[in-house]
Amino acid sequence: MLAIQEHRLGNGLRVVLNEDHSAPLVAINLWYHVGSKNERRGRTGFAHLFEHMLFSGSQHVGNNEHFRHIQSVGGTLNGTTFFDRTNYYETMPSNYLALALWLESDRMGFFLPALTQEKLDIQRQVVKEERRQRYDNVPYGTAFERLLGLAYDPDYSYHWPTIGSMEDLEAATVDDIREFFATWYRPDNAVLSIVGDFATGEALELVEKYFGDIAAGGQFPRFDLQRTPAGQERRETHPSQVQLPRMYRLYHLPKMGDREWVHADLFTTVLASDKASRLERALVHDQQIAQDVSAYVLPTESTGMMIVQATAREGVQIEAIESAIDEEISRLATQGLSDDELVRAKTRAEIDFAHQLETFDSRADMLGMFATYFGDPMRCHDWMEPYQNATTDDLAHVARKYMIPENRVTSLFVPGERSVS
Amino acid sequence: MSFRETAPVPGAPRPYSFPHVTRHTLSNGLRVLVTENHNAPLLSMRVLVRSGADHDAAQTAGLASLAADLLDEGAGNRDAILLAEDLGLLGATLGTGADWDASYVSADVLSRNSEAAAEIFADVTRRPTLPEDGLERVRAERLNDLLQQRDEPTTIAAKRFSHLLYGTGTYGNSVTGSVESVSRIALDDVRRFYTQHYVPNNASIVITGDIEAARAIALVERLFADWTPGPEVPRPAVSPHAYDSSRIYIIDRPQAVQSEIRIGHLGVPRSCEDYFPLSVMNALLGGVFNSRINMNLRERHGYTYGARSQFAFRKQAGPFVVAAPVRNEVTRESVAEVLTELRNIRTGHVENHELDDTKSYLVGVFPASVQTASDVAGRLLDMELFGLPEDYFDRYRENIAAVSKEDIQRVAEKYLDPERALIVVVGNAAQIREPLGQLGLPVHEMDLEGNAVPIG
Repeated sequence: MLAIQEHRLGNGLRVVLNEDHSAPLVAINLWYHVGSKNERRGRTGFAHLFEHMLFSGSQHVGNNEHFRHIQSVGGTLNGTTFFDRTNYYETMPSNYLALALWLESDRMGFFLPALTQEKLDIQRQVVKEERRQRYDNVPYGTAFERLLGLAYDPDYSYHWPTIGSMEDLEAATVDDIREFFATWYRPDNAVLSIVGDFATGEALELVEKYFGDIAAGGQFPRFDLQRTPAGQERRETHPSQVQLPRMYRLYHLPKMGDREWVHADLFTTVLASDKASRLERALVHDQQIAQDVSAYVLPTESTGMMIVQATAREGVQIEAIESAIDEEISRLATQGLSDDELVRAKTRAEIDFAHQLETFDSRADMLGMFATYFGDPMRCHDWMEPYQNATTDDLAHVARKYMIPENRVTSLFVPGERSVS
Repeated sequence: MSFRETAPVPGAPRPYSFPHVTRHTLSNGLRVLVTENHNAPLLSMRVLVRSGADHDAAQTAGLASLAADLLDEGAGNRDAILLAEDLGLLGATLGTGADWDASYVSADVLSRNSEAAAEIFADVTRRPTLPEDGLERVRAERLNDLLQQRDEPTTIAAKRFSHLLYGTGTYGNSVTGSVESVSRIALDDVRRFYTQHYVPNNASIVITGDIEAARAIALVERLFADWTPGPEVPRPAVSPHAYDSSRIYIIDRPQAVQSEIRIGHLGVPRSCEDYFPLSVMNALLGGVFNSRINMNLRERHGYTYGARSQFAFRKQAGPFVVAAPVRNEVTRESVAEVLTELRNIRTGHVENHELDDTKSYLVGVFPASVQTASDVAGRLLDMELFGLPEDYFDRYRENIAAVSKEDIQRVAEKYLDPERALIVVVGNAAQIREPLGQLGLPVHEMDLEGNAVPIG
């Protein structure tokens, strides 16, 4: 069992430590409990644009110096933004723990004095290129965005993806960035996880030194997201520059970590994971009507979602794919699955979890997640329990309860607007 | 507040050493490398076959990768489905594939099931059934993949660049082949490729993770000792085109909102004596986030989400290439900036801090890049494919640290050639052809297959 310690500084910063001397490295992962969920309609893409800004220097760290400080000693770093959280992380040679804490604390406590219009303009351009590269210039690139648009009402803030819209990115001002920072970037809204080659006592002293004097904020704006079920399936057919039709589907689920979410997670392995999984075997291997299928649940905090997608082979109608998928799901819902299928799904979950804890950086990320979403990093120890205890009936039950037309949305990408070449 | 003003002084570095490698060679020539790591209950197994798409004839391009795809369509007395079921019960993930110089079988498994997984792993490597219906399945899947690639700007750019550089010879055809070549490949071709190349004297096995070395070697002896060796098959040599001046090729994608740019030329083989200076020079030029090209195009100009340069080190000389997706409106400016950076590093000054930062990055980041059993396995596969010395990873960091400013300038001048560069741009021709023409270089246009099309 991992030796995990949790502490809380006077200003509310939660600190999670896991000492491990198996490599001369230390991973630092700082989770802020803010993501695109905390944006408003018309102001989308902010959390992510803000993440970019946080690499552009702070009061004691010059523009681009953050990257240079870390890379020039052999560290790696990045940040990611999702619906519910934003994280910043670095993996360092272990004698540079203090450097990482200095940098992270400077941008937590002293970011605003270094904010300029010029930095915002550059990062706005970079983020717009990111959107073009990952969404607008590749086949199926906007699929997830379209699916979210169907799945959630416009005032439910999972309605848009973290990248945001070009218009909203264009409209972002320095004042917006300032307000966003003041609202969300504060020690009492963060979890600092440190994993690796350090002595716990010394690490805590360093954390206190660098973060202890950063002031906590006042009240947080409340975000009680209430999803109103649509009561019927929302669907669209989207002609697009693609060669093969593809179905994207989202099923609503309880939020991450609920027992039924865990059961749905196992269910997706039964559906689509390897050649022996139901959809892959039926659609890809036996009938050969699909090019690929996949199914997975997303780690979301406010409400859960399960995605199923499948690409039709050339000459196959997407409707044939959809009905073959519905058939397999309803077979599982009514006739259940075999004991072997459940064992395979549980074993897959076990090995995936072992891989997530294998490296210092991924482990620190997991600890930040458990502390942020579940209020307790020790959830790491019993996270696998509901997986181990799941029964074949549990899985069939989630299929009957959630994998029904009125609980889903579907976006069909079909070839259209073909290129002239 | 003074401690906030400057970066803290680091502590003393903790010692690091690459894991101890236990080596063994079976009497049939199969080489075995093992490292132990008991931190996680995980084990990685890899087979390296030292033949890949470099052996594909133009007529049957895609053969090596199709052969690899067929390995898990049935092996020993299991069909494809039973293989997947049994691997699933053991918590094993199996992968097969081919790249330019080699073919691979890989398995990652819960270490408590090592023995049973290794038996299936040996079946897939040594006793694939290579069934007719399996070939038709993977062929249909491949043809659909190739169809989808027609809309992927990065794939189009990479294919056209390779083809312009290497023609229809080795490294010139796609690893995945073309619609014509994949349609042509017969089961006999696959069986011949398998029989010729999947032999123990052309292979290595790497096992890393939660297992004792002696047990791993005994396991390999038990499962692979009676694998029959075969005659050596020489690698077909590359025959790259020599261009006497720079030129631009546009591949039209009318709906494109970004131009996918490739700029480069022939590079060097992995065995190049200047590997370390080249690695440092490339990292400084465009290999990492803080490199000159990325800082210029991304952080100074906001043209791109990211630009990188790379020497593709292969058995034979792979390409040197700079890759950047940029918005349509700044295509010309981006090409010009990259060419300027290539010229500057050849003729200009390299600052001490640039060199120091780059070297200490490469030295410092190495331990983090080999944290997992799977990471270590990947390094050992490289070692086996490229015939690196046994102490290569023990001495890697000192070899990087020894690179000097003079080395950087010498290799930049010797191996970069911005006046004879191939510039491939996949993008909206109507919007970018005129600005690109202003660069003063010849501009050609071609279709997705590389056929010349009249301009405009």
